[in-house]
Amino acid sequence: MKLLLTDDLRRSRGTVFFRAVFALPFLIWLAVWAIAAFFVAFVNWVATLFEGKSPTPLHDFLARFVRYATQIYAYLNLAAEPLPAFDGKPGYPVDLEIEPPVAQNRWTVAFRAVLALPALALATVLVGSGNFVFDSARSSGRLGFAVLGLAAVFGWFYAMLKARMDRGLRDLIAYALSYAAQTWGYLLLVTDIYPDSDPLTAIGPLPTRSDPVRMEVADELRRSRLTVFFRLALAFPHLVWLTLWGVLALLAAIFNWVVVLIAGVSPQWLHRFLSRYVRYQMHVSAFLYLVGNPFPGFVGAEGSYPIELHVAGPERPNRWGVFFRLVLAVPALLLASAFGSALLVVAVLGWFAALFTGQMPLGLRNLGAFALRYIAQAYAYLLLVTGAYPYSGPCLEGPPPPAVAPASPPPGTAAPTAWPA
Amino acid sequence: MARLSDLRRPATLALLVGAALWAWAAVALWQSTELPSLDLPHLDPHSFFGDSFLHRSATYERFLAILGVLGLVTVVAVLAVYARHGHRLVRESAAGRVGTGMLLAMLGFAVVWLAEVPFGLVALWWQRRYDVSHQGYLPHLLDSFLGLGSQFVFLCLGIGIAMGLAGVMRRWWWLAVVPAFVGLAALFSLVSPYLIPDTSAIDNPTLVAEARALERIEGAPHARLREQEVHRFTDAPNAEALGLGPSSTVILWDTLLRDGFSREEIRLVLAHEVGHLAHHDPLKRLGWLALFLLPAWGLVALFTRRRGGFAQPEAVPVAILVLVAFQLLATPLLNTTIRRQEAAADWAALQATHEPATEKAVMRKLATKSLSDPDPPFWAYALYENHPTIMQRIEMADAWEEQRP
Repeated sequence: MKLLLTDDLRRSRGTVFFRAVFALPFLIWLAVWAIAAFFVAFVNWVATLFEGKSPTPLHDFLARFVRYATQIYAYLNLAAEPLPAFDGKPGYPVDLEIEPPVAQNRWTVAFRAVLALPALALATVLVGSGNFVFDSARSSGRLGFAVLGLAAVFGWFYAMLKARMDRGLRDLIAYALSYAAQTWGYLLLVTDIYPDSDPLTAIGPLPTRSDPVRMEVADELRRSRLTVFFRLALAFPHLVWLTLWGVLALLAAIFNWVVVLIAGVSPQWLHRFLSRYVRYQMHVSAFLYLVGNPFPGFVGAEGSYPIELHVAGPERPNRWGVFFRLVLAVPALLLASAFGSALLVVAVLGWFAALFTGQMPLGLRNLGAFALRYIAQAYAYLLLVTGAYPYSGPCLEGPPPPAVAPASPPPGTAAPTAWPA
Repeated sequence: MARLSDLRRPATLALLVGAALWAWAAVALWQSTELPSLDLPHLDPHSFFGDSFLHRSATYERFLAILGVLGLVTVVAVLAVYARHGHRLVRESAAGRVGTGMLLAMLGFAVVWLAEVPFGLVALWWQRRYDVSHQGYLPHLLDSFLGLGSQFVFLCLGIGIAMGLAGVMRRWWWLAVVPAFVGLAALFSLVSPYLIPDTSAIDNPTLVAEARALERIEGAPHARLREQEVHRFTDAPNAEALGLGPSSTVILWDTLLRDGFSREEIRLVLAHEVGHLAHHDPLKRLGWLALFLLPAWGLVALFTRRRGGFAQPEAVPVAILVLVAFQLLATPLLNTTIRRQEAAADWAALQATHEPATEKAVMRKLATKSLSDPDPPFWAYALYENHPTIMQRIEMADAWEEQRP
């Protein structure tokens, strides 16, 4: 099961403004469809248990249902522009490619509902409080403070202003939908492949970016079971130290704000101090949430940790942007908190996985790194370490930005570096 | 045997002078706790406690004592294995020399925690069986796991200081570690009364007035009087005196204030705790800490040489084994010093209240509620008891009565 993304980012302000209203008939239809899918799923479960393979008509029905739900939610959450059809046919800008039925292991079929629980937990923090099937059944579309809902709200404002969707937000929504679709496909026996949470492989080609605050992932996936078991307790001294450092960083950030407003640029020493704080925070989070393996140092030194944050030197930012920084950072901080929830689920699932296998699953590690990168960029923006707004979508890391002002690299000049497996 | 030529070497000479100074300081500290030379009468526990209680308390405490010994043996064995193989865990760190040392120290104690879990659970089962503890198994495990976090904070601080000094000073770094640790302990002692959870000021004016009167009689500094809520975890009554100077505090457990102790009995317990403050016992404990830390860290310096010295993280597992083994060996000695302070506080309480009968009554109640064996076997007494036994305390009350003019 693979998400196909052919959306061109253009949006009509009129349809964006009334998006929730326009989506209402589709959601009602989806709710009706969900009731039928519930019974079909049960029959399909029994049939697959006996046959070892999902019967083609049942598989096709459920596959179409998952595809339709994905299309509707892509439309509702502004990941796509055109109105979807009512029949879940392929061809929508945010669509699913679903394989025909294959033979499945009967044990995994029998315990599918249990096996799907971890994926459902992750899908919950990505797409909403419940899940999109139940949400649609209630016709409420309740999303809480999940990643998808926040991205859609911020995307709504962006699209109303610019008549196009922000690439990062669109990709983030598409990623969340892709994971939810895989989860439901797995639960409904449409596929026997466990959902992959890797944001780097979920939605096709990714942009290569050279942001002033970049993450480099050189971590091996091996995890020491002993340090995994005691991870929380081992991180405790770091958390105390981080809190103490945080008090200083807050005072330094206020001072920095005044200095940048007056002088137009952050002093090197202050920029270095705040960069170190953001980097240290990221090192500690990477360790605590199992995104990184080794125990980090206490000083946030660059190049000391396999999940590394590179921060460009001080810029000369727009003073208005600096003056209103706290307000401007609110959406990023809200999204960062939603990413924080995802990180927590990554840590809990990763804890069990690493304890049993001695390895962190690649998908979870990369989702964790993605979340950490966004959170680090959000804090760097808040603390005036950078003037670049956090990029919310998954991306590949390009080379460092030019020394002074950050600029988008000319297309084709950046050599993409994917996070290693 | 040291040869005469060895004695001329400055290092050997310094060690000998140091040992003599250490012995002099230990004697001075011991003698600073004044206790009249009493010929305690030997009383029969059966004349104060029923047969069934004596049997029950002996069974209860004997089991816990044996379990404790097994636990200690296991801890030493686990740490010995860790000392041999723990250095391999260096690869799990990206924290530099000192940070890696911290990680190895934490992992050492984490392994010890794991090894102690079964013993802790069995001990809890036993305490619940005898109705001494009400704590559930899961909260016990959770509390103890979360307690590791705060333990690790202090551990990191200690290892950071010691490794930092070992990295800067070459041979005699362990001499510099002691004042640093004693300073930290003094700071902790100063602030610890404010860190104890679930405490509130005692608002009983009679009790407060009695505390002030006892302070005057015993010559103790003015102390804060607090009540600690512990009845959710235990029925055992207790009290403690802690803090230094302005933070001097007497804490009475709510199980003492609310569980059938008379006014006179509470006053006597209060007099005992005020006695500790009058004798400056919290300060003296710092003195004993300094005296015991010196040889402990000296041994660490000695035993970690083969791993490149304590400045190297690979030496930390060995250092932990040395420190824990030293602590186990020193505990009977340390207990002796604390027992002397406790006996002196008992004597001060008797002098201040003139109520030996109340002392005996309190001891009987303490024993009954905590299910303490009034007359434990010597090995358990030496290893675990940092107070005189219940019978010794009753005998002291008897001796005081006989000495009364």
